[in-house]
Amino acid sequence: MAAVTTSTGFDEATLRRLLERGGAPDGVRERAFEQFQAMPMPSPETEEWRYTDLRDFDLSSFLPSAEEPFAENLDGVAPELLEAAGEIGERSGLSIQHNSTLVTAHLDPEARARGVTFTSLDDAVTTHPDLLEERLHHAVPTVRTRFTAMHGAFRTGGTFVHVPAGVDVRFPLQALTYVDADALAVFPHTLVVLEEGSSLTFIDRYVSPDLERVFSNAVVELFAGPGSRLRYVALQEWGSGVTHLSVQRAHVERDAEVRSLAVAFGASLARSEAETILLGDGGSSEMLGVYFGRSDQHFDHRSIQDHVGSRTSSDLLYKGALRGQARAIYSGNVIIRQGAHQCDAYQTNRNILLSERAKADSIPNLEILSNDPVRCGHAASVGPVDEDTLFYIRSRGIPEAEAQRLVVTGFFQEVLDRVTLQEVRGSLEATIATELEREASERLSGRGAEAHAV
Amino acid sequence: MEQMQTVRESVKRTETAALEISGLRARVEGKEILKGIDLVVRQGEVHALMGPNGSGKSTLANVLMGRPGYELTAGQVLFRGQDITGLSADRRAQLGLFLAFQYPTEIPGVSVVNFLRSAYNAVKSEQISALAFRKRLKEKMNMLGVEDAMVNRYVNQGFSGGEKKKNEVLQLAVLEPEIAILDETDSGLDIDSLKAVATGIQQLIGPNLGVLLITHYQRMLNYITPDHIHVMMDGRIVSSGGPELAHELEKKGYEGLRKELGEG
Ligand SMILES: Nc1ncnc2c1ncn2[C@@H]1O[C@H](COP(=O)(O)OP(=O)(O)OP(=O)(O)O)[C@@H](O)[C@H]1O
Ligand SMILES: [Mg+2]
Repeated sequence: MAAVTTSTGFDEATLRRLLERGGAPDGVRERAFEQFQAMPMPSPETEEWRYTDLRDFDLSSFLPSAEEPFAENLDGVAPELLEAAGEIGERSGLSIQHNSTLVTAHLDPEARARGVTFTSLDDAVTTHPDLLEERLHHAVPTVRTRFTAMHGAFRTGGTFVHVPAGVDVRFPLQALTYVDADALAVFPHTLVVLEEGSSLTFIDRYVSPDLERVFSNAVVELFAGPGSRLRYVALQEWGSGVTHLSVQRAHVERDAEVRSLAVAFGASLARSEAETILLGDGGSSEMLGVYFGRSDQHFDHRSIQDHVGSRTSSDLLYKGALRGQARAIYSGNVIIRQGAHQCDAYQTNRNILLSERAKADSIPNLEILSNDPVRCGHAASVGPVDEDTLFYIRSRGIPEAEAQRLVVTGFFQEVLDRVTLQEVRGSLEATIATELEREASERLSGRGAEAHAV
Repeated sequence: MEQMQTVRESVKRTETAALEISGLRARVEGKEILKGIDLVVRQGEVHALMGPNGSGKSTLANVLMGRPGYELTAGQVLFRGQDITGLSADRRAQLGLFLAFQYPTEIPGVSVVNFLRSAYNAVKSEQISALAFRKRLKEKMNMLGVEDAMVNRYVNQGFSGGEKKKNEVLQLAVLEPEIAILDETDSGLDIDSLKAVATGIQQLIGPNLGVLLITHYQRMLNYITPDHIHVMMDGRIVSSGGPELAHELEKKGYEGLRKELGEG
């Protein structure tokens, strides 16, 4: 369990303690701390924070860190952590962050021999000082919001990956962030740097039991060098009680391809920003999203597809189902910059509402500053399961609950069909099936209660 | 053909009535569409239902299958002697009723084979294995000339008009209902598809299946000879007869019949 922590909050004393420990290039924490102190909480009066009001979110109620012992290798890792990491089939490496500590980062010796680095950010500061100087907080600057500033000042843990030019990492690398200390603030950070012509699959997984109150303030920075190929998956499976704020931003250079998948099943409140900037000519981006909300979960998804280079393409498909009183907001922006010629951009968000009290909003936006896009468009929908489809299915003898299950499973299939990682797809299918089973049994018991009341 | 007719004739006498509709009136969005329908379809019989556009044929089919939104104002529908008007569509299907839709619905992301297996299990109260079901399905596909590729696609998604109708008949073949309502299963088909679909239906017709065949065309009746033909106009069955009624209609048209009836 967590070692006793002496910190009282996000103050100068904590900052000083972290500075002694290192974990960031010189001056980074101090600058971020100044920004953190100077910046107000984001206001719901701004468009960006209109749907997630955190003005009353009390940062001082969280502990800045809970340190855990390091493990020499995977054998030294607690079994419940390994179990939480889940089965993802073959992998080239696994790192585990337990509360505030990156307890282990294991990399396949073959990958290491080819020059791949997979380590904690703390170690990377000493092993790759120049790279960190150049990249850390460069995709997601600390000055972006009070939360990213807080992250920059108080981050502990975090994972760093570097793949040298021309190297294909055969199997996925996986990073698990596991929290079981209540009232803790954690700062998961993933920094991935792919050099020219390399390729990698990286899976971030956020897991916890149900907790009273935890704050996850996450940053993901992805740098895809020229002609590289990156697949990035974020599986957000926090327990209830967690407030998860994340910013993910990918820099895509010439002819590089970044395909990302954002999965949100957990947390009480999750606000996830996913951005891709297509800097070089010929780059491409695919952004997939799957979310399934229940009880009073709140999901706020924001995305940006920013085309700077010519002949760049981006395609976004986010699909979510909501039951109970869950709430989802999707707000997406496609930008085609002046001078970005013959770009192709599309954005689709679809929401299926399984209860009358669930609510979703979809807000697409296009900013086209170039006069010759090949294609640029968006599609959005919010609604209950289609009555005609239900009747058609039921007319074949399939009862209502199962008909509903078929429709919703099919609804997600369009995204799942594009998830090429077998194990990730299998895990998604299983979670969706479990949610639908719960939905069906809650309906039955709800109905039973109604019948009883009559 | 001759032989099949006799088989059906002989069964008719021993089987009890399967679907009995009497005095049926129904409203859609406050407007009365069905104005008193009486019709009995027994297992082993083929009834053709014809009538001009908008006369209420599909409304009748939907009401019989229990589509929500249709308000029954009078009459009853018995299936095997049981009043089914209060039952959900899935219960009706489980009892042995089937509707081939005039406009089949898409089910995005659900493959024909998975959909049909769920339906099969629900209707037959079985838990057939995926493998055993594939085998059963394959037999029916061969019989109807359905391509492998079709059953792996998502139900009706991107299907041509003909493929959708073929898919309806495939479902009919797999689920083996006692009474099937086929709502314009012959429309939107080219000559070859019509032949394939019609011969498929023809093969399914037998002592265990009763059919209410809604159609506009004599060409379908060239393949499937009905025992009875009914003509529906403005929510009522205005004329019933044998196969010769279809030829008569072909000559006179609905206007002619309307005049005759008006005079008579
Ligand atoms: N859901 C509905 N809402 C409003 N009116 C409807 C609805 N369904 C049917 N109607 C009306 O009921 C009448 C009968 O329609 P129905 O579809 O039953 O005709 P039909 O005999 O099947 O015609 P067709 O030969 O063109 O298929 C029409 O006037 C139609 O507009
Ligand atoms: Mg019709």
